[in-house]
Amino acid sequence: MKKRIVIVIGILAVVLIAAVLLSLSWGTYQMSISEILQTLIGNGSKVQATTIFSLRLPRIAVAILVGIALSTAGCILQSVTKNELAEPGIIGINAGAALAVVLVIATSTTSYYSQLGDWAIYLMPFAGIFGALVAAIAIYVLSYRKGISPTRLILIGIGVNAGLNAVITLFQLTLSKGDYNQALTWISGSLWGSSWQFFWLIVPIIGIFFAWTLLESRSLDILDLGDELATGLGIRVEATRRKFLFFAVALAAASTAVAGNVAFLGLLGPHLGRRLVGPVHRRLIPTAGLISAIIILFADTISRNLFSPIEIPVGITISIVGVPYFIYLMLKMKE
Amino acid sequence: MMEATITAHDLSVAYDDVLVLDKLNVAIPKGKITMIIGTNGCGKSTLLKTIARILKPKQGEIVINGENIKSQAPKAIAQKMAVLPQSPVVPPGLLVKELVAYGRFPYQTLFAGMSEHDLEMIQWALTATGMSEFAERSVDQLSGGQRQRAWIAMALAQETEILVLDEPTTYLDMAHQLEVLTLLQRLNREQQRTIVIVLHELNNATKFADHIIGLKAGKQVFAGKPLDVITPENLQQLYGIQAKLQLDESGTYPICVDFSLATEE
Repeated sequence: MKKRIVIVIGILAVVLIAAVLLSLSWGTYQMSISEILQTLIGNGSKVQATTIFSLRLPRIAVAILVGIALSTAGCILQSVTKNELAEPGIIGINAGAALAVVLVIATSTTSYYSQLGDWAIYLMPFAGIFGALVAAIAIYVLSYRKGISPTRLILIGIGVNAGLNAVITLFQLTLSKGDYNQALTWISGSLWGSSWQFFWLIVPIIGIFFAWTLLESRSLDILDLGDELATGLGIRVEATRRKFLFFAVALAAASTAVAGNVAFLGLLGPHLGRRLVGPVHRRLIPTAGLISAIIILFADTISRNLFSPIEIPVGITISIVGVPYFIYLMLKMKE
Repeated sequence: MMEATITAHDLSVAYDDVLVLDKLNVAIPKGKITMIIGTNGCGKSTLLKTIARILKPKQGEIVINGENIKSQAPKAIAQKMAVLPQSPVVPPGLLVKELVAYGRFPYQTLFAGMSEHDLEMIQWALTATGMSEFAERSVDQLSGGQRQRAWIAMALAQETEILVLDEPTTYLDMAHQLEVLTLLQRLNREQQRTIVIVLHELNNATKFADHIIGLKAGKQVFAGKPLDVITPENLQQLYGIQAKLQLDESGTYPICVDFSLATEE
């Protein structure tokens, strides 16, 4: 197993680097690998330097963070709910964050994204966390009857998700056209306009909660064995569940605040990861994070370029892969 | 009188409003194999779950080694008592050695990895249950008997003086039932572990138990050595059956050779 994990992580790292290079080179302004490398060590032209350092690199960095955060949130939710279909996009946590962010945008701008005031940008992740937290608390409280039944949590989450999306749609109808485009970005999930500012904004939040989850990953392993065994092994099941639920909310909210509601990323990474390295979270979380980062990077590169100059939201590209996979999983679970 | 490891005083447990255990008083003797028997719904699993802290009693208390379980930290209890529920679920793809390693959870701190002692205990648990050769196999690919042994190995790795098992032989054929119970008996004899088992098969209970507790409608009907308490009268009271009993060849435990439903007189 040790050998296997080293090989898996090694291969995934190589693929991630390939995805990064592809994303750096492919765009309205094409760059060759050698040009990229030259620019990275400071020998590029001004245009090249701007393309790499101000546009593509921050976007890539944000994408990787979002991939890791959503995948980790997915790992957590799948253990907490004991349902392998759980992920922050499906049970309404992302939608809660998206609604809050859309509200911030709507109240603080009249036209486009670049004109969002600094304070609004800094407000977004916190609005996101607040919105996600409200959604999570609503789901938790609604599904609480002398403890949490995982199935009820999922079903109520799906209901809350539908409700929140309805509210977002209702809200969209009242927005001006510019606001509408921006709101749409958040609703479908997009990395459009990602800047270093965004990156530095979410790095501490995602870093802390990712590390913390990894540190306490043994508790997630034990929760997977069911409430009875977990209790017997000395875990306070309900309190541990609540704590991890909060971690998942923070991770999902931070990423939704900058990238909008990207669905399925929290599903794909953990699932493929489990097939590669098994269910032990110490290995699963980093592997799943890498996989989700790779998926979102490839998907984003395609989203930017396939119908250029029109950009399709990355969330839609991921859903094209995610929806069939989700259906496949549902069919498999029925058996 | 024997020394008790676990005692329940005036224990009442209810699901919603239905009282399942009604001011129950039981004592589990130290270093012995105790079997809890009774009809479906008599409260035996409920008693086990309450001892295991999965259910909260409405009234009364449970004392382990002279200390109320309420006043002990969850991990401290987990170092004294391992609990195996009826049909535990295993995450797909989990290897036997990983499952057994989870048994060390109560001893692990946040930052430390596996200690030398952790690894020794895991090895020992695998060897004691005969699971060493399956260590690298995925638990969900094992047969029922092997899987049960893997779970017992996990409970052993927990290094506790008390082992609590809820129907560990359900879904196993006769040979595998015997295998599991013999393993538990060996652990008890060689290491004086206190073992508490909820069991359905009466003959297995009389054969392997040092102490049998009969529960009916949330009350203790009888408790004692199999020879003393497994009598036709007690079985009629417990199950409502008329049982034909005879002693085994060595004369140490009763066997139920036949039974019929008791008719009202």
